[in-house]
Amino acid sequence: MDRLFKLSKLEQALVQLILLAYTCVVLFPIGIAVLNSLKPNLGEVYKAPFGLPSVWSFNNYATAWVGANFQGFFVNSAIISLACVVIVTFCASTIAFVLVRMPFRGSTLLFAAFLLGVVIPIRLTLAPLFVIVKSLGLLDSLLGVILVQSASMMPVAVFILTSFLRAVPAELEDAARMDGALPFQIYWRVVLPLIRPALATVALLTFVQAWNEYFLPLIFLRTPANYPITLGMSQFRLQFDVQWHLMFAGILIMLIPTIVAFLLASRQFIEGLTQGGVKE
Amino acid sequence: MALKYNQKANLQRIALLAPGVLLYGIFNFAPLLGLFWVSLVEWPGIGPMKFVGLDNFATLFGNAFYRDQLIKAFANNLIFFFIIIGSMLILGTAIALLLSFRSWGRNAYRIIFFLPYPLAGAAVAFLLEMVVRTRGPLNAMLKNFNIIEQPIAFLGDPNLALATLASFYSWHRMSFAIILILSAIVGVRVHLIEAAMLDGAKRWATLKAVVFPVLAPAFVLITVIVMVDVFNNADYTLILMGPEGGPVRSTDIMGTFLFRSAFGGSATSTSVNFGMAAAIGLFTALLILPAALFLALRNLRRKD
Repeated sequence: MDRLFKLSKLEQALVQLILLAYTCVVLFPIGIAVLNSLKPNLGEVYKAPFGLPSVWSFNNYATAWVGANFQGFFVNSAIISLACVVIVTFCASTIAFVLVRMPFRGSTLLFAAFLLGVVIPIRLTLAPLFVIVKSLGLLDSLLGVILVQSASMMPVAVFILTSFLRAVPAELEDAARMDGALPFQIYWRVVLPLIRPALATVALLTFVQAWNEYFLPLIFLRTPANYPITLGMSQFRLQFDVQWHLMFAGILIMLIPTIVAFLLASRQFIEGLTQGGVKE
Repeated sequence: MALKYNQKANLQRIALLAPGVLLYGIFNFAPLLGLFWVSLVEWPGIGPMKFVGLDNFATLFGNAFYRDQLIKAFANNLIFFFIIIGSMLILGTAIALLLSFRSWGRNAYRIIFFLPYPLAGAAVAFLLEMVVRTRGPLNAMLKNFNIIEQPIAFLGDPNLALATLASFYSWHRMSFAIILILSAIVGVRVHLIEAAMLDGAKRWATLKAVVFPVLAPAFVLITVIVMVDVFNNADYTLILMGPEGGPVRSTDIMGTFLFRSAFGGSATSTSVNFGMAAAIGLFTALLILPAALFLALRNLRRKD
């Protein structure tokens, strides 16, 4: 075993060389963005894209933030993402609880209906989805986007939670039922605490996906005041496209929350990938 | 009269199911079924709908204007897919293999390589577009090292734009391949490797005989997920090239074609029809159905 994976000095050097090369590929765009977002003017970006700024212009970030109304976009993205997390964790956990612990006639059919949602992407249903959202009067409202984005994340969430719950013994719940506890109490007092690790994964995946979503808001939102940050960035680009240093600052403002979230929870992200990787 | 326990339990079960079933039913499942119905109407987004039967399909496959767009978008989508999956499987396997050795700092590398994955597709698109501009840093670097004399218009050249967008996708999603392949390598049963090594097999022979065969499931999974994704998701193209998939439709893929048919390519478009969009959506869903069914069956097996 060890002989297969152990490296001699020469091999180690070679492996390091390749890994460092790929590290450069990954970090090059991000590093360039950080460096050039701090330059005082466009000329310096053109002349010496790899040089340090002559003056460290941290106020580029303030300019981008104010100039593009990033504050409003940020708040919209936060509202959408947090609402999706609350709705998806609640709705998916109640469904998973009933499907796994209180199956009924037709529960297999219900499970199959969710299965269909895992495999057929919601983007393809753009036309009927638009008809439904329009007829409910939810076009161009945050509520409409929140409901559609939550619904699009339900299938994967239900899958993660049902498979987790199936692996947990039902003894505690049975004991509670013996004591006369009703499903509401069992769900709230026993099941929710039990599935907390899986709920955390679902919450994380939902938050990141909701924060990053571009297509669904693009379809349903018209008023710039409702835009989340992904659409807001497109607006910003129309205005500042030629001012590269400000563009880089704007892009970084958009990236920072996800990078921070990732560095805080990189282990959960990497595990969530293998669990939630059923659909992108 | 007070309800019996069972009656109460049944009522509460319905109450527990209701929010999730309604949410998913209205905003995800109904649109799926609605594809069949909307594909039979003509509707520009406002005003009354007109029932036209199978006309949308007849136009899509029969009318040269639409058929040519469909063929072009599908062909581009295939090229896009093969560039992505090729780079992800080859580079992903190589990197995962190097990370599985006792290489220094392999945990740090793992985190660095994973960094692009959680970023928003929109942000990645904006960022990498800046990097590959003709006056941008990538061209500047290539010039510094005397690799090129004239800057390359990565996204402006119809011959390069699609491949450039594909490489954006690979940059963003590479860690997905790395992580899945790495966990397959790590999961190889130890005694098989030991047996092979005891037989005196060299490292490369051992890898070939014992490790590579177990990578097949990971390869299939990555291929299927990427296939489903790139045949419906056109974020990079929409953001950077617009719904017309420019330059000269060289980056047009199924997702942009679908979007264009519903919302038009530009403000002056007249031929918008949600029925056509539904027909294209249904056709694309059928195309990716084998891949989708594979994923569904895998999930069903996994739950046991």
